[in-house]
Amino acid sequence: MMKNIKYTLQIGLALLSSIVCLSSCKKNLPDARLSLANNSLYTQLIYQPVLGRNTLFSNNFQFGSSSRPLDFKIVNMRTFSGEAAPEMEAFYPVMTWKTAYNGTESSIAEIEAKRTTENHQLFEVRPHSGEFIMWAAANSNQVKTQPDSGYVFDVEMSNSGGRKYFQNFRLMPMKERPYEPSNLDPIIGQGPQISVLPSGVNITGERTGQPLNAGSDVRVLFKRSGNGNSLTFKFTDTLSNPIDPNKFSATDWGNLVHGFNMVKTNTYVKYETAYPIPLSAYPTKYTTLSGNQARVVFRFNRQVFGNVLQQCFVAMNFNIYQQGDWEMTFQFLRDRPKFDND
Amino acid sequence: MEANRFSKNIFPMKYFYTIAFLLILGFQQVAQAQQKINVKGIVYDGDSKLKGPIAGASVILAGKAIGQSDGNGHYSVTVNSNAELTFRYIGYKPATVKVNNRTTINVTLIEDDNNALKEVTITSGYQTKTKTLSTGSAVTISGKELQGQPAGDVMSLLQGKVAGLNIQNSTGAPGFRGSVTIRGISNVNISGDGNSSFLSPTSPLYVIDGVPVDDNTDYSYGFQQAGPGVSPASQIPPEEIENITVLKDAAATALYGSRGAYGVILITTKRGNSKVPVIRYNGSAFVSTVPQLRAVIGGKGERLLRIDQILRYDTSRYTAIDLVNNTPFLADSLNAYYNNSTDWQSYFYRATFNQTHNLNISGGDVGFNYKVAVGVFDEKGIQQGTGYSRYNLNMNMGYSPTRKFKLEAQLNNSIQKQQTGSGNGLQNSGVATGGSSSSLLPSPSLYSSVNSVLGALRTDNDNKILNTTATINAEYEILKNLRVASYLNYTGVSSTKDNFSPAILNANQSQYYTYNDRATTLYNRNQFSYVYSLQEKNEDAHNFSLFAFSELRSSFFKADAMLNQKGVNDQLRGPLTNMTNYTTSLGGTIGYTDLRTIAFAGAFSYNYKQKYVLDFNYRIDGLSTSGPNAGYKKNPSVSLKWNFNKEKFLESLKWLDYGDFRFSYGSNITPNGGIYDAYGKYYGGSQYNNSQSVILDQALLPNLSLEPTKATTYNAGFDIGLLNNKFSLAFDTYYKQTDNILQSKQLSSSTSFKGISATEISNVNYGWEFQVTGRPLNTTSPFKLSLSATLAINREVLAQLPDGLREKIYDDASILDQDTYYRLGLNSLSNYLYNTKGVYQTNGQVPVDPVTGLPYRVGGTNILNYFKAGDPIFTDLDGNYILNDNDKVIAGNSQPQITGGFTSLLQYKSWSLEINTSFTFQRDILNNSLAAQLLNFNKPTVLGNLVPLSQFNYWAAPGDVAKYGNPLDFIRSSIINPFRYSQTLFQEDGSYLKLNSVKVYYSLPQTFTKQYGMNRVSVNATASNLGFITRYSGPNPENVTALGRDYPGGYPLSKQFTLGLNIEF
Repeated sequence: MMKNIKYTLQIGLALLSSIVCLSSCKKNLPDARLSLANNSLYTQLIYQPVLGRNTLFSNNFQFGSSSRPLDFKIVNMRTFSGEAAPEMEAFYPVMTWKTAYNGTESSIAEIEAKRTTENHQLFEVRPHSGEFIMWAAANSNQVKTQPDSGYVFDVEMSNSGGRKYFQNFRLMPMKERPYEPSNLDPIIGQGPQISVLPSGVNITGERTGQPLNAGSDVRVLFKRSGNGNSLTFKFTDTLSNPIDPNKFSATDWGNLVHGFNMVKTNTYVKYETAYPIPLSAYPTKYTTLSGNQARVVFRFNRQVFGNVLQQCFVAMNFNIYQQGDWEMTFQFLRDRPKFDND
Repeated sequence: MEANRFSKNIFPMKYFYTIAFLLILGFQQVAQAQQKINVKGIVYDGDSKLKGPIAGASVILAGKAIGQSDGNGHYSVTVNSNAELTFRYIGYKPATVKVNNRTTINVTLIEDDNNALKEVTITSGYQTKTKTLSTGSAVTISGKELQGQPAGDVMSLLQGKVAGLNIQNSTGAPGFRGSVTIRGISNVNISGDGNSSFLSPTSPLYVIDGVPVDDNTDYSYGFQQAGPGVSPASQIPPEEIENITVLKDAAATALYGSRGAYGVILITTKRGNSKVPVIRYNGSAFVSTVPQLRAVIGGKGERLLRIDQILRYDTSRYTAIDLVNNTPFLADSLNAYYNNSTDWQSYFYRATFNQTHNLNISGGDVGFNYKVAVGVFDEKGIQQGTGYSRYNLNMNMGYSPTRKFKLEAQLNNSIQKQQTGSGNGLQNSGVATGGSSSSLLPSPSLYSSVNSVLGALRTDNDNKILNTTATINAEYEILKNLRVASYLNYTGVSSTKDNFSPAILNANQSQYYTYNDRATTLYNRNQFSYVYSLQEKNEDAHNFSLFAFSELRSSFFKADAMLNQKGVNDQLRGPLTNMTNYTTSLGGTIGYTDLRTIAFAGAFSYNYKQKYVLDFNYRIDGLSTSGPNAGYKKNPSVSLKWNFNKEKFLESLKWLDYGDFRFSYGSNITPNGGIYDAYGKYYGGSQYNNSQSVILDQALLPNLSLEPTKATTYNAGFDIGLLNNKFSLAFDTYYKQTDNILQSKQLSSSTSFKGISATEISNVNYGWEFQVTGRPLNTTSPFKLSLSATLAINREVLAQLPDGLREKIYDDASILDQDTYYRLGLNSLSNYLYNTKGVYQTNGQVPVDPVTGLPYRVGGTNILNYFKAGDPIFTDLDGNYILNDNDKVIAGNSQPQITGGFTSLLQYKSWSLEINTSFTFQRDILNNSLAAQLLNFNKPTVLGNLVPLSQFNYWAAPGDVAKYGNPLDFIRSSIINPFRYSQTLFQEDGSYLKLNSVKVYYSLPQTFTKQYGMNRVSVNATASNLGFITRYSGPNPENVTALGRDYPGGYPLSKQFTLGLNIEF
């Protein structure tokens, strides 16, 4: 009997060892690790974000034959001269979106509920796509801006197949330009001009009876007068006397900007708004078709010779990045608009 | 102490020099009897068709085994002159004989009818051995199990019966084969795109009555459009098959060398075995029914759904009304052309009545036997214009005037006809597009616009395959135990395909495609075998056998095709063409191969008292397709077997019938590519210096060291039979590495060649196989029940890619975009898809980029590009809040990983009931049919049929938890593409359990049939292909391509109901 057990054991052992032998063959098989290819490259090495606004650098990385997902990390952030750059390592509160903005929000509170404050480094890489982000919280008081040579950094790309370093990226931020179109020089941050031009004008001059020229006869001035949350539109004539906004009688005041609690007086129109304007690039009724800029159009209609209806307007596509009590003044430089019928 | 005794017995040293000496010289020594008398003789098999000898029969004296018959049935024992000997062999009635001073006693054992399982003999490596001495992994299926179910392709009947043989009957097209693979895929190449992507088939080598038949070449699969597609194995009617043996490991397939890398299937046909000539008739009539077709919305319902969809989802009401009014078939509802409700599918499908008849005349005995079989098989496909018929006349004869000489001759002829309709048979795209036409259109006529319908109904397609096989083999025993034999075989196959497309379909000028090919194979094998035994205590103890052969094979294939256009009228279908020269005639040779192989092989086998068996095989192959630097390929194999039930300490166990362990290692090859891959292609150029220039084709750089594909297998097996065959189990585990898989590789343009045929891909299959049979009822019970089950678990891993790559993508260039991902360490054929995780219930669920505040989107920043409620949730793998190519993930395995089946046979008196099932688990299917149906909703202004939306769980209103997104939002669908083919939403679990067939047999009482001069009469009723248990949402989880794609053009499998009659005179 003992013998039988012994032999049964032997048989079992033989069976076991054969199974073990075959399963151990698996050891020689390659592991299913991801690959890291040589043709995975950054196609852009110099990054020049404008401070004071969120900048996302996309389409800057070519995945090539590396297998997804890839992990990216900024390493070795340093100044151009090779010194440490603690301001780029520190975390700052930045405003991020939780829920999509879509232009239907009915109060500032509703808009603010879609945003939250998180702590981030000012310049980050998206962990799996390799895209770079410069957060709006970065300002030229903390961060070196052009004409300084800025910063140099490296990027580590890795997956289970290994890691690879891309070296000597340049980050050369430009000074803030709180609104666009801007009259400020991108490098020195000062304005050679004091105003910008409107996007479109179709108005006849009162004195000349000629159409006003969008390139020279009308100008738009931006002015930040406080730290609130408002946007005011004003119109002035050649002598800087206010023009009653009510004269732009065909304007759709309710849907002019995504603002609330409109106050319209004889000299200005004021909205409470959330900043930046527009809040995102999502196309809404307050923006251009692409959604990249807010669009305001001030309209009035008048009857011209031959009983023709002239639909007059002055339009402006713009962005305002910095929160505050902003004032936009449309100044008619050479001639007052003609509001009356012919 | 035990081990010591063990080693002593296995190989006593005193015999060592004798053995070595004998091996070298082939010297034969007659063992002398020492005392008493020496009784010799042969044990014959009373039931074998040839009355052949039985090897391994025990000779028992007073309950104790004293000897065994050898490979030729010879035994020799020394006993008292008045002893009583009992001869016993598993599955046979024991015979007891008194010696009475005789020295020669020949015994014939008769099969024990109560014991259905007798010890089978296994043929492998051109040698027949008992199962006890067979060291390889092999499974034999008796021809009886294949009866009663008519089939164009006999292989389809083996589904689920052999562990490790994965058969997927992927097409219902008559005469076409499904896919057959042994132990996983051995090739990872894909050709074509979209639904026409095909995996390079790796069918095993078929050896029909000792002659290898090629199956992986030419146009025999049907998806290569040029020729007809009929499997060489389908020329044998199932009624003619004696048995089928599937050889799985390298030890079993070793001697099939140059084409055995994908496994080997041996088919043995029936032979005459009755002194009185026997006439057998098997006839069946069967009905193929139309499977359930998809439900479609008809007529007004279709129109209203489309209009409603446009009104609800167009950008504005005015553009919607404008769109409806500009779409005549929606607006002009009173127009007779658009005011119909046509059921298009009904024009393509039909139930068919089919029949098969086989008549077989045979007779003779060991000395001389003959058989003539005539068969007809005729099956009309359930799709219009398709069908398959086979007529065959097979003859064989055997002549053996003495035991020393044997001559066998065989002649098989078959004519096969196949109609494939307007498709290529495997895919009927005409039916797919025609069957999915809008119900608003009028029914088919010459004036209707649905050409594909006319194409399917009016195209004449006629394919003929003529197959002739002649084999002659002679065997002679020169000296005792030394036999020489020679095989000579000639196979000729010629195929034609004529496809006539009438004028109405081709701008009023008919078109005629003609194709013909010719394939010939000449095969010769010369072999000798020698058996020798050394005796120990008067019984054969050390048994040696030596077997060697040389093999020559020459095969030739040439295919020509011509396209005649601009026919004069539909009546003239001859080779008429108005083309005046060769270059404009659209014809020529489209395929040409000429392959020569030569091989030398040897097999040495040794066993000690049949307890320990050692086999050593060696084969050298020369192939004309290998590169000149590749040289001859040498393939060794070694295998060991321990029949532990023959050990002394286990002999006393009554409940143990047999038990063994097997271990084997070996390699095999299969030719790669053609001669152009190795030697390049040369063609004539212009004249230079008044002599003809010869130019090397720069498409392909000659690969001078082109290697054949090599498969190396390790196998460990375990067999056991218990309780007088009430229970038996065979277990195998294997590791199979396939190297040198051919794939053409692009070269840098600086080489001035476009590419090279490289053999740098390897994959590995490993797995476990179980084959269990049980007979739970007592032998005394009037019921007999036999249950068997098979289970094979296969894991496949990609082990090497060209140039040291770790991964590679096969890009699907079609709109389906269903790429295939090759990554080392994973299964070779992984689907590369967008990962779908459900449907956004509300807009708020769409992820938002925290930087920009923009929702997740596709492509640009147009307002239509953003995801919203009702869209599918695709994983954003790279986290950039934009869905693009980088977000695809590796998902799923298109290959079945677990296969098997159950068979049960219940017999009661003259009734028997057989139920066959098979299953496949762990397979992923891409349901492209479903995707196409949902995609139809995205084009409300395009004619096409619509399925009822109510059958889908789709998103209709915010908050809906749905499986499918909103199919009606047609404006955004072109951007979002919610029903893109390449997503995991359409990748479904393709596991299934299939009820293959239910067969009922009844044998009429012989007393009754004798009155009419009939010996045996039985009738049977069979229902096959009855249904599935599956979670798959499509109609049939088996009816998919080898890459697991269920597509609308697939040929559905029909249910078949058969009534059969078998008469033996």
